[in-house]
Amino acid sequence: MSRVQPFIFFLLLLALSSLAAYQILFKNTEKTEPGMVGLQLPKIELTNLFDEPPLSDQDLRGKISLLNIWASWCETCSLEIPVLLVIKELYHIPIYGIDYKDNPTQAKKWLKKYGNPYTKIGRDKDGEAAIDLGIYGTPETFIISSEGIILYHYKGMLDENVWENLLYPLIQQYTS
Amino acid sequence: MGKFALSINPTIYIMNIFLRFVLITMLFFNLAHASAENLYPFTSSSQTEQFNSLTKQVRCVVCQNQTVADSNALLATDLRNKIYHMILENKSDAEIKDYLINRYGEFILLQPPFHQSTFILWLFPWLAMVLTFSWLVIRFYVNRSTKNNK
Repeated sequence: MSRVQPFIFFLLLLALSSLAAYQILFKNTEKTEPGMVGLQLPKIELTNLFDEPPLSDQDLRGKISLLNIWASWCETCSLEIPVLLVIKELYHIPIYGIDYKDNPTQAKKWLKKYGNPYTKIGRDKDGEAAIDLGIYGTPETFIISSEGIILYHYKGMLDENVWENLLYPLIQQYTS
Repeated sequence: MGKFALSINPTIYIMNIFLRFVLITMLFFNLAHASAENLYPFTSSSQTEQFNSLTKQVRCVVCQNQTVADSNALLATDLRNKIYHMILENKSDAEIKDYLINRYGEFILLQPPFHQSTFILWLFPWLAMVLTFSWLVIRFYVNRSTKNNK
């Protein structure tokens, strides 16, 4: 009996550890859960970066579009501008921008330097819109349906690979 | 030199330094506490308590080992501001937590709720401890009875 006991306890601990490992490795327990995906875009009413009408959530209705959160102080954001310009000019998908906690003068200089892919830009001065959207930082990009539903929330730099293999196929899937 | 050495009582000298240190520390904490209160002023102490409690339960999603109360990340400031405004709107803890969970998932709470997908997380350490302890106790008694039989 004394020889068997250690094995019994070992097996019990092994069973428990396996269950824990299964939960961690194979169950969908990713830290960044879907969040706002599948939900209506929250109400947005942001002052335009330029002397134009404010950016509203209603602007993103009627056609599938991208909502991109960026800032001029964000190094990575400048790296995704070329891809955003391609999306705008070749794929003709409107991109709306939220300029997160930024200096408007710096933001305008930055757009002049790197190019402006945005149909409209709203200024999120106090970060409230960002929290409403559930963002973690910049850059982040949302795919918004023509009904204003958040179809996907991509966190990080949008490069060619991400666009061609992840976001564009999702858009095609939705539009078909 | 000898004349000066005789006039200083070491015990009193050390007590003096210690008391000054305590007073300065108390002053520092008072100032820190006052500045935090000034940034997020409330009209009632219950709202202040609600804010202090909630900000210590919510994880900073940038510096994930810190609470939004402790973190200096931009997003932590935004989260604190959001919690502050929601408390001013008389939202309950549950409403504020639901709002944050809807956007960031349960990971945003330092203590995730107990349900089907988190029960292993909660129970595993206790079960492992109970099993190991039970094994040690049984082994002890078995060894003792083996020795007594000899």
